Amino acid sequence: MASKKDEKIEYVKNGKRLDGRKVDELRPLKIEVGVLDNADGSAYLEWGQNKVIAGVFGPKEALPKHTQDPYKARVKFIYRMACFSVPDRKNPRPARREIEISKVCSEALERAVFIERFPNSSIDVFVEILDSNAGSRAAALTAASVALADAGIPMRDLVASTGVGKAGGEIILDLNKAEEDAPDAVDIPIAIMPRTEEIVLLQMDGLMTKAEWKKAKELGIKGCKQVYEVQREALRKKYEAAEKPEAKKNPEAEKPKAEEKKTAAKKSEKVSK
Amino acid sequence: MSEKKIVVPGDLVTEQRTRLGSHVFTENGKVYSDALGLVYEDRDSAAVVPLRGKYIPRRGDLVVGIVESEKFSVYGVAINSIYASYVSKQEVRDRLKRGTVISAKVFDVNEINEAKMEDLRVFYGGEILSVTPVKIPRVIGKSGSMLAQLKDGTGCNILVGRNGWIWAKGGDINLLKEALDLIEREAHLSNLTNKVGDFLKEKKVNK
Repeated sequence: MASKKDEKIEYVKNGKRLDGRKVDELRPLKIEVGVLDNADGSAYLEWGQNKVIAGVFGPKEALPKHTQDPYKARVKFIYRMACFSVPDRKNPRPARREIEISKVCSEALERAVFIERFPNSSIDVFVEILDSNAGSRAAALTAASVALADAGIPMRDLVASTGVGKAGGEIILDLNKAEEDAPDAVDIPIAIMPRTEEIVLLQMDGLMTKAEWKKAKELGIKGCKQVYEVQREALRKKYEAAEKPEAKKNPEAEKPKAEEKKTAAKKSEKVSK
Repeated sequence: MSEKKIVVPGDLVTEQRTRLGSHVFTENGKVYSDALGLVYEDRDSAAVVPLRGKYIPRRGDLVVGIVESEKFSVYGVAINSIYASYVSKQEVRDRLKRGTVISAKVFDVNEINEAKMEDLRVFYGGEILSVTPVKIPRVIGKSGSMLAQLKDGTGCNILVGRNGWIWAKGGDINLLKEALDLIEREAHLSNLTNKVGDFLKEKKVNK
């Protein structure tokens, strides 16, 4: 084991990282809107190896009643990791980490949503992590914000989130698991409202100099803006796509026609009898 | 109708000073959208019509409701809102039973969105159909054109509530349902009134 630790991994070599990305490049990000039929709004997100599904229910009456606030709505954020989302089975019981993530994400979204318009109500956001590989809270928050917009809940802005940090002495964007496990790793999940660049979530573990932090913050905001573009595109695509499939709808419309003809024929038979 | 811009929450609607319509807010003198929707901009106001959303009662809304409960001086009415809504017993001559279908006008909404209603009408028979509340303006159409067409095409007696509930009686209710589905599916596209007109005509011919 000792020999392994002594081995020095070069996290950035000739401007490229372990997985071939540039220093300021995100993992491939894909968002799909409106995947759950029974939710008011929903989104599915794939970000590198992370796979996340988010559903929004509400606004609805906040229950139990003592959780109601007559001045604002409550954003109930439930972050949950599936048992099979990590290499070793995860105990399905909500752990310390999940409760913490739920809390910070809820606070981030409360800043973006016009909660004061929905007194005494609750906006429930459920996020299920199906597969995780570093940066799952950023993925959860990104998906949740898209799902909220899909549910038609009034918001000041979308919330875009990403990870930024340090591995092997270099400041890099969107760390993956291998980079997060570097001996000098610093991991900073950051979420912003892109229009105003207001930071709504910021956590950090590890040590950094002031200069490094400045660089990381800039890189993080740049990354969030890239995420924001993907979010916007996903939301717009859902309704732009709906303008075209006219041809698909026609055969559907024709089916009941045939049935109606039959029933109409039956009716006329009855009348004639 | 010109082509409409799709905006997401936080998108700039206009930089000009205009009157604010629905689902927009100002920050530093600019107007932004607060919902995923389509921009409606005319000479002196900017508004966004959302593509999804729940019903929140507003003063002056005509709604369709179902009597849900009775208290000492009020009836509790379900109007597809997450907040409680009431109609005073002074508005009613006869006693209402639980489950009675009514229509009423919202005359006051308080700070926690509870609605008080007046101008009560009771309906007997018929069905309540439901449509996403944000799409109700499309069901009514410009100066009621769509609604007139629906009444003509299906032969139903129709009362459209702002809350997304539609009371219908008589005529071809199944056809009405299909037409409403069509409206809901294509509410964000233009030329909808003609499309629905063609749809209803086609169905009539096939009968």
